[in-house]
Amino acid sequence: MTVFLQSVLSGILVGGVYALIGIGLTIIFGVMRVINFAHGDLLMLGMYATWLLFAHLGIDPFLSVVIVAPLLFLWGAFLQKVFVNRVLDALPQNQILLTIGLGLVMSNSVMLAFTSNYQILTTSYSSASYHLGGLSISEPLLYSFLITAAITAALYWFLLRTDTGQAIRATAQDREAAQLMGINVRRMSVVAFGLGSALAGTAGALISPTYYIFPQVGGAFTLKAFVIVVLGGMGSIVGATLGGVIIGVTESLAAVYVASGLKELVVFALFLALLLFKPSGLLGKSRA
Amino acid sequence: MDRPPRRLPAPRGSALVGTLLFLAAVAALAIFPQYVRKPYVLHMGVILFLAVIQGQAWNVVGGYAGQYSVGHAAYFGVGAYATMMLLELAHVAPWWGIWAAMAVAVLLSVVIGSITFRLRGPYFVLASISVAEIIRLAALYFKGFTRGAEGFLLAEIPPLHVLGHEIEFVGKRPFWYAGLGMSVLAIGANWAVQHSKLGYCLQAIREDQDAAHSLGIPLSFYKNVALAISAAFTAMAGGLYAMFVKFIDPNVAFGIDVSVQIVLICIVGGIGTILGPVIGAMVLVPLSEILRNPRGLVQVGILPPESRLVDFVEAHLSNAHLLVYGILVVVVILFAPEGVLGVLRRSAERLRRRAARRAVAAAPPSA
Repeated sequence: MTVFLQSVLSGILVGGVYALIGIGLTIIFGVMRVINFAHGDLLMLGMYATWLLFAHLGIDPFLSVVIVAPLLFLWGAFLQKVFVNRVLDALPQNQILLTIGLGLVMSNSVMLAFTSNYQILTTSYSSASYHLGGLSISEPLLYSFLITAAITAALYWFLLRTDTGQAIRATAQDREAAQLMGINVRRMSVVAFGLGSALAGTAGALISPTYYIFPQVGGAFTLKAFVIVVLGGMGSIVGATLGGVIIGVTESLAAVYVASGLKELVVFALFLALLLFKPSGLLGKSRA
Repeated sequence: MDRPPRRLPAPRGSALVGTLLFLAAVAALAIFPQYVRKPYVLHMGVILFLAVIQGQAWNVVGGYAGQYSVGHAAYFGVGAYATMMLLELAHVAPWWGIWAAMAVAVLLSVVIGSITFRLRGPYFVLASISVAEIIRLAALYFKGFTRGAEGFLLAEIPPLHVLGHEIEFVGKRPFWYAGLGMSVLAIGANWAVQHSKLGYCLQAIREDQDAAHSLGIPLSFYKNVALAISAAFTAMAGGLYAMFVKFIDPNVAFGIDVSVQIVLICIVGGIGTILGPVIGAMVLVPLSEILRNPRGLVQVGILPPESRLVDFVEAHLSNAHLLVYGILVVVVILFAPEGVLGVLRRSAERLRRRAARRAVAAAPPSA
């Protein structure tokens, strides 16, 4: 029973970060109907930025979120304005290929700059943990979960309460209608891509104390982000939050009860089953 | 899938010329190794043939049927692994093993196709990726069967006896001929598909799935046939790759990079055409091979041995040869969505029109 609770707990902690990655992807998809295959690479950039800030300036990875998130926002906005914006009306396949290409450019440029060696970011609390009635809670995971929760709450507030947030949601709901209501949908697309990219970068910063940092780390997260987003229903932010936690727990349980080498396989198999039987996701209404 | 991609008709009356040019090219390539023996050139040639086979194979399902599979690494890897394992574990010679590998890939494609073809657009793309990933993860995990991350190292290919001759598979030349032969087969298969009822049905599916369905074209049957053909040739490329490179592991054979590269060959060249994948391979392979191993240019004699450029590329760019793929695909999607072939055709068309206009202007006005 302890083992079960322990794996559910660590699953939830990891799932929080997954949720952040998924929310970023789902916002981009919702507003632009573009599936961002470079999402994991944006996360990778966030990891490297955090690592650089830590290695050269000694900034704590959790504090560096304050710097990494705005940086990635600007980068994402730039990518949208210069590249993605031009294919908004193109075939979905071409959009996918464009973002795959952008991802390749990002990961290979990082490889040029920092080689493909694994980097490790070790903080004083990297392997520390709290103990609570037989359960152990890893300190870096707990911190990242708390920060994730705070950011998610702030994001919900932003999307529900502010004008820009409502404009983003309106654009996601119906681009033409939003435009007729006087919303600058082009600007909303830029904001949405920046936001999604900032969330991916934040997630990268938060996991950098617990993961290896290397140029190809993004691919695995891109795929995971798709699974999360499809699970929750494409474009649904609540769905992505829930999906992230579900995938975190599933992975964690699969690692304990199936085999740790097969945890991702279990997730993908689940994903395929989901695509076939409920492609609209848990909270989705219609197929995009 | 929803909107037809812009395509330009091939110039008429070019079928005979095209066939003759094709035969001439094959003949030239067949005698090429008699004159050029530099291993680097032959090596690049074999990689080029591999890319042509992969591109032609993907073209059947991606180009004609419009089903953008980004999971072709599954078939490539199965081809590579089956050929390799049959040789290493059961001592089946690769020229028999590769057919078995293709059969395995076809069986796999029927399973994968019947699952993923129920989905459309981005969902199909995601499903195809996850199937390939499942196979890669399984190959990494089930070490007893696949040796996991350790992979397979090829010890030796037995000599092939043909009509009293003995062919030793050493050096690059035998692989050059194997690659050339397989490329011809793959191009032939593509041509046959394009000029058959199958090809027309596939193109109807690509242009408008629902309209094709309403005309009585069984969608999943034709898509599966296209995928089976595609899988067979992709597996063939995989088998040749395993024998040529002599080492495979799950990431090299089943990695998502393999799938992406296969798609890019067609996208860069121009999809839905026979010439497209050939052009795509001719653009991508030399670029990425030169970045991967710039010393080859010295060997061939294009650059002096003490060239600064070679040192620079070797020191900085050699592990980032995929950068070229990334940059090219971005450029192609933004500026030439019909690929290099489309650009060539369009400029040829423009030239012809300008020439025609000039001829009209130069002609004396008929009174």
